[in-house]
Amino acid sequence: MSKPRSELHLILTGVARDPLGLMGLIIVGTIVFCALFASWITPHDPIGMNIQDRLQGPSLTYLLGTDQLGRDTFSRVIAGGQVALKVALPAVFGAMTIGLTLGMIAGYGPKWLDNLLMLFFDTIRSFPTVMFALAVVALVGPSLQTVVLVVMATSIPTYGRVARTQTLTLRNSEFILAERSMGASMARILGVHMLPNIVGVLAVLAAMDIPTVIALEAGLSFLGLGVKPPTPSWGALLKDGYSLIRQTPWLVVGGGLPIILATLGFTFLGESLRDVVDPKLRKQR
Amino acid sequence: MLHYAVRRFALAALIVFVAVTAMFLMIRAVPGDPVQIMLGPRATPELQARLTAELALDQPIWNQLAIFYGNLLQGDLGVDVFSGRPVTSIVLQQLPYTLELIVASILWSASLGIALGAYAAAHPNTLIDRITAAVSVAFVAAPAFVVALLSLLVFAVHLRWFPAIGVGDGVLDRLNHLVLPAFAIGLSWVGYVARLVRASMLEVMGENHIRTARAFGLSERRIVMIYALRIAILPVVTVIGVGIGFLLSSAVFAEIVFARPGLGKLVIDSITTRNYPIVMGAVLVSTTLFVVSTALADLINAWLDPRARSTV
Repeated sequence: MSKPRSELHLILTGVARDPLGLMGLIIVGTIVFCALFASWITPHDPIGMNIQDRLQGPSLTYLLGTDQLGRDTFSRVIAGGQVALKVALPAVFGAMTIGLTLGMIAGYGPKWLDNLLMLFFDTIRSFPTVMFALAVVALVGPSLQTVVLVVMATSIPTYGRVARTQTLTLRNSEFILAERSMGASMARILGVHMLPNIVGVLAVLAAMDIPTVIALEAGLSFLGLGVKPPTPSWGALLKDGYSLIRQTPWLVVGGGLPIILATLGFTFLGESLRDVVDPKLRKQR
Repeated sequence: MLHYAVRRFALAALIVFVAVTAMFLMIRAVPGDPVQIMLGPRATPELQARLTAELALDQPIWNQLAIFYGNLLQGDLGVDVFSGRPVTSIVLQQLPYTLELIVASILWSASLGIALGAYAAAHPNTLIDRITAAVSVAFVAAPAFVVALLSLLVFAVHLRWFPAIGVGDGVLDRLNHLVLPAFAIGLSWVGYVARLVRASMLEVMGENHIRTARAFGLSERRIVMIYALRIAILPVVTVIGVGIGFLLSSAVFAEIVFARPGLGKLVIDSITTRNYPIVMGAVLVSTTLFVVSTALADLINAWLDPRARSTV
């Protein structure tokens, strides 16, 4: 068996041994499974209307009731998970890649570049996230792509700063000095020797970042500034539920619980991953 | 200390400068006529002409930036597209409502969080400690706007314990209107602060001066309350400073859900009516607020703990 696979195996058994980690693994697994096979699981068309059956309570036909247009809430919850992951995964992956690159450049490059990049990170962080998102949406209009871009931009500094700190620590370690004295190029040092040592930490950070991203997407959609109707998103469910809160509680419950479950699942998984991968990180947060 | 304070505030000013400039350039980078974009389709031709002159759009971009900063330094953020009132006074009118909400949220969540954390640290690995830890994680995970909606559903619509909308009149009524929104915003902070205080408390409890206090025969209660807690509380100060940004974000949602006036409601209403000067003005004010509060937190931290002064 090759080495990386056994490491992954070790990490997974470590997570599964921790009760909270196992719970996180189960919740996240369920959400990913539902999102992947949404079209097989949903009993009704998530955007199919049936006006005669509008605003119904839970029943065997409609597990979580229906909304003001007679759409099945349960189907919309399942399909909403797909939208949440469609925003969260590219955003987190993009932010991680860009943050990693910039952070390594800041940590390894000349001092002035480091200062410049740190100022760039601090500037992005100086906007309160939602306010920044609102300003961008106001300018370019709401859409799924805008949400992904905004979310990505706001989390770049987190990854960048951690990648920079890691690079700075590694920079003077003996194996890097040895590489350098043998005349290795900068690209080789950064890509082959430093990258594997930084990626693990960033992956943990990414798992813990996903809940924030899911909440931000849902929040923007709740405000009517995220994904457009009739796309089923958890935030859109909450938006409908809010305007109908005196008629039916089921839309707010149906939109709210999956968000809380998803945040719980990813947080548990992330914390457990962190403890297994790098227990030292525990103190930094 | 003075040296540190000056450098820290210079950095804060630089960050605000870069952020505002970036926002200015972002508006210019959007394709189309900036006046059209900023004023929206419903602006009168007079207003468009006035803004074109004000922004000096026929001049090079650096002159435009200079004029923009000239106005800004005089406290001029432009005018409301519809009413023609200055944006500065509109934003400053809404700001107190948001600040009131944020302060209320910090007060209740930080005090409860500190109490829980200190208790858990004084009795580590007991049942209560474990329950606090589990509940903390669960609370940290709950996004403010979901909590706001669920508490609106349960406590305002069904149980009718608290009013659902508005800010109320008179002191008691205002406080009554604050309960649910402040609860929603603060809830995730209780767990966060509790975990933070617990961790730093456990660290402090192992230090020499606590051992000395024990050797002097002081009561455990006195050691925890007087000697350990005041040091263990330090990280909370920083976290609250940085947290103002998150609280501002949560406040946006709480204001929408509970139909309260404030910066967030102002921005959302202005986006739907495409009233860009107000959106930009409010974002600018909240960004400045955030940067200043972060800098202040760093200063307080440096004042309490001299070791922190070396890093800017």
